[in-house]
Amino acid sequence: MEDKERTLWGEFKKGFITTNPLLVLMVGLCSSLAISTRVENCIFMGLAVIFVLTCSNVIISLIRNFIPDQVRIPIYIVVIASFVTIVDLTLKTMPAVYERLGVWIPLIVVNCIILARAEGYASSAKVSHAFMDGLGIGLGYTTVVLIMGVFRELFGTGKIVFSDTTVIDLHIKAVPVILIMFPGAFITYAMLSALLQWYQSRKKPEAGEGS
Amino acid sequence: MIRHILNLGLRLFLVCLVAAAGLGLTYGLVKDRIAEQERRRRARAAETVLASLEATPQENEELTAQLQAEFPDLLSVFEGFDASGARVGYAFVLKSKGYNFITMAVGVSAEGKVTGIKAVSNEETPGLGAVAVENKQFLQQYQGKGPQRLTLEVDVDAYTGATYTSKGINNGVNMALDIWEKMGERT
Repeated sequence: MEDKERTLWGEFKKGFITTNPLLVLMVGLCSSLAISTRVENCIFMGLAVIFVLTCSNVIISLIRNFIPDQVRIPIYIVVIASFVTIVDLTLKTMPAVYERLGVWIPLIVVNCIILARAEGYASSAKVSHAFMDGLGIGLGYTTVVLIMGVFRELFGTGKIVFSDTTVIDLHIKAVPVILIMFPGAFITYAMLSALLQWYQSRKKPEAGEGS
Repeated sequence: MIRHILNLGLRLFLVCLVAAAGLGLTYGLVKDRIAEQERRRRARAAETVLASLEATPQENEELTAQLQAEFPDLLSVFEGFDASGARVGYAFVLKSKGYNFITMAVGVSAEGKVTGIKAVSNEETPGLGAVAVENKQFLQQYQGKGPQRLTLEVDVDAYTGATYTSKGINNGVNMALDIWEKMGERT
């Protein structure tokens, strides 16, 4: 099961391009489309996903020989839900962030990325690999939502606001508001996905990826 | 066979046990700070509902404890003092059942008139009840009403599409008016 040719660095960087959760695996889209209206949201959501994903990957990899096959899904859910609850409780101490992200945090439990990595990867990988995989996939998720967030907030509202201070202001009055609404999320996402496909098709197709 | 099932159950149980212990630990670490945030949110809501009286709210824990015996859904009582230090109203933070629970602050003047309503937190359906809870026009209807209990569709219009939430808000306001009346009897 454990491929010797896998390197730690390889496990880490695959999350960005070859198995990017959002653009290639196309999992966990629901929350990413919803939260990418603001850069600030993207950062905190990204951090939350990285934390939950890495921790659950490591724990599940650690106890992979202890988990009986028949009850593996309930165990994954318990592990993931525990970490999500920890994030939820921690964020509750930061009301400004919690007010905006509050609805989406519990949804990380059912975010396909995490369960998919637990079932499809961590349950049959070494702890160190699972750790790097969690970090890589988590950062890949964060990078994509950040790009979407910057694009949507900058062009949808004309400025980027971070913790109540305007960081960038384009000084345009007529902005395409559609970008920060749901159709804008789909348009942005589709453009990014197309861009990645185009980029990959220019390179020589590589041999199959990890999961 | 039975051993196999027991084995599965035991392992699942162990995982859950460890998870529960970890969560308990985390909760123990952050619960004071969460309570502090909740207290601040309530104080801010109390300030909002007393704004029309230009009163500053001050929490009265003793009064809260006394009234809670009769009104278990009451969470905290704030007294509103104006610039000269006279008590001009109260803000009651209470829990009312809409579709789910709504935590709201209701401001009541010394004369028993509603001075404002503000939701502290709610678990209403996003897009329906949650909109009603924040809707200014809907909440504005209560302004200046009281001290008699209010009836939906007679004294105030319900919010279309959010009947349960409207009932919840209305019951919350009535509870506040009841509490106000109760306090009048006491003093």
